[in-house]
Amino acid sequence: MITLEANYSKKIGLPGYSSHQFSVTLKSELTDIAQAEKESARLYDVLQQSVDRNIQQIGFLPGEPAKTNGNGHTNGNGHQNGHGQPKPESDKWACSDKQRELILKITEEHQLDKTKVDQLAQDRFGKGVKLLNKLEASGLIEELLEQTGQTKPRGQRFQKAGGAR
Amino acid sequence: MIALVENGVSHGEPSVVETLQKTVSASRLNCWLQCRLKFYFRYVQKLTKPKTAALHYGSVVHLVLQQWNLARWRKQPFELAKLKQVFETGWLDQSQINWDGEEVEQKTSAWNALEKYFTETPIKANELPEAVEVPVEADLSGHGLPVLIGVLDLVRAGGCIVDFKTAAKTPDSDMALHQNGVQLDCYSVLYRESTGKRESGRELHHLVKTKVPKVIITPAEPMLEYQRTRLFRLMEDYVDGLDRGDFIPAPGFGCMGCEFVRECRKFDGGRHA
Repeated sequence: MITLEANYSKKIGLPGYSSHQFSVTLKSELTDIAQAEKESARLYDVLQQSVDRNIQQIGFLPGEPAKTNGNGHTNGNGHQNGHGQPKPESDKWACSDKQRELILKITEEHQLDKTKVDQLAQDRFGKGVKLLNKLEASGLIEELLEQTGQTKPRGQRFQKAGGAR
Repeated sequence: MIALVENGVSHGEPSVVETLQKTVSASRLNCWLQCRLKFYFRYVQKLTKPKTAALHYGSVVHLVLQQWNLARWRKQPFELAKLKQVFETGWLDQSQINWDGEEVEQKTSAWNALEKYFTETPIKANELPEAVEVPVEADLSGHGLPVLIGVLDLVRAGGCIVDFKTAAKTPDSDMALHQNGVQLDCYSVLYRESTGKRESGRELHHLVKTKVPKVIITPAEPMLEYQRTRLFRLMEDYVDGLDRGDFIPAPGFGCMGCEFVRECRKFDGGRHA
C-alpha cells in the first residue's frame, strides 16, 4: 500500500496589517505507484478549492470592524469587493514575506501606531509600507528597530540567517 | 576530505560547514579567496582574536559616516558637533586593542580624515540616500547557490552603490576596483535582487589616513554579465570547497596582517593518517 499525503496552505493579508491562514492535509492510499500523478493532481484540486472556499470567511478582525464605502473599499489598508471578500492583489506586499512579518511583529509588539509607520514609509520613500521593495523595507525595519531600541551592531545583523558575515 | 576537516567538522561541530553553505557574504568570499586556512580558523573553528587598531579605526569612521548618511535620510541638518560626539563615543567603545602607544595619533588621524571627507565629498548636503547601512539578501537557490547576504553602506539617490574604505596609502583606482571587485559585485547582485532595478553605478570612497588626509573617489560602471558569472563561479567554488574541506594555507603578502599566523605556522597539513 502506498500512502500519498498532500497539504495545501494559504495565507492572505487582511485590513489593518492583519492576516489569516488556513491549511488542509489529506492522505490517500494507492495500490499502484502509477496512480500517483493523477491522484496528486486530484488532491491538489480538492484541497485548493476547499481552502479557497473557507478562507473567504475572514471572521474576527482586530480593531475597528471594517466598514465598506459605496465602492466596496474598506477604511483600513485592505480592500474588499461588494461581497465582503478580500482582494488578494491589494494585500500583496512588495517586500519579502520575512520582512513583512518582521514589520508587523515590531509594530504589534511595541504597539506602534500603524498610521505613523505608514507615514514614516511615505516620508522616507514616498510610498506606503506595502509598496516598499526589499531594499526600502530593510531601511524601514532598521529605522523601526532603532526607534524601539533594538538596533544590532553591523556584524550581528545576519545572526539568524546563518552566522558571521 | 583531509583529516583536519574530519577533526574540525566530524568531531567538532558538524553543522558549522552546513550553515556556512546556506549563506555567503562578500567578507566570507574574500577570506575564502585570500586563504582557505584563514577561513577555516575564522569561520569554521570560530577562533576569536582581539580587535586590531586598524579595524577599530575603520569601524569608528564607518559609524560616523553612517550617522551622517542617516541624518540626510531623515532630512536633518548637518551638525558637525553631533558627529564628533558619535565619533568620541564610538572611539571609547573598545577593549584589548594594542595601540603600540599610537592611540592619540590614530584618533586624531581618524577625525581629520572624516573632516576632510565632509569637505570634499561629492554627495551634496540635500541629497537623499536610497538606503543607508541596510542588511539585504538575495536568494540564489535558482542558480544552485546559497543565499547572498550583505550590508550596503550607502545607496545614493538614483541607485549608485557606495562603499566606504579607510586606507593607509593612496589607492590606485584600477587596483582598488580589482581588489574590491568581489565586494562590489556582491552589492550589485544584492541591489538588483532587492529592488528589481540595475544599479546606476558603483563608487569606492576611500578616506586615506596619510598625515594630510585625502579623499579618493573611484567610480565604477554597473556590474557586467561576465562579472556576475565570475562571482557565481566563485560561490560555486566556495560551496564545493567547503564540501571537500579545501582548507589549505596560501602563504604570501596577506600573511603580514593575518591574525592567525601563529596557528598557521603550527598547521601540519591536516594529514594524520
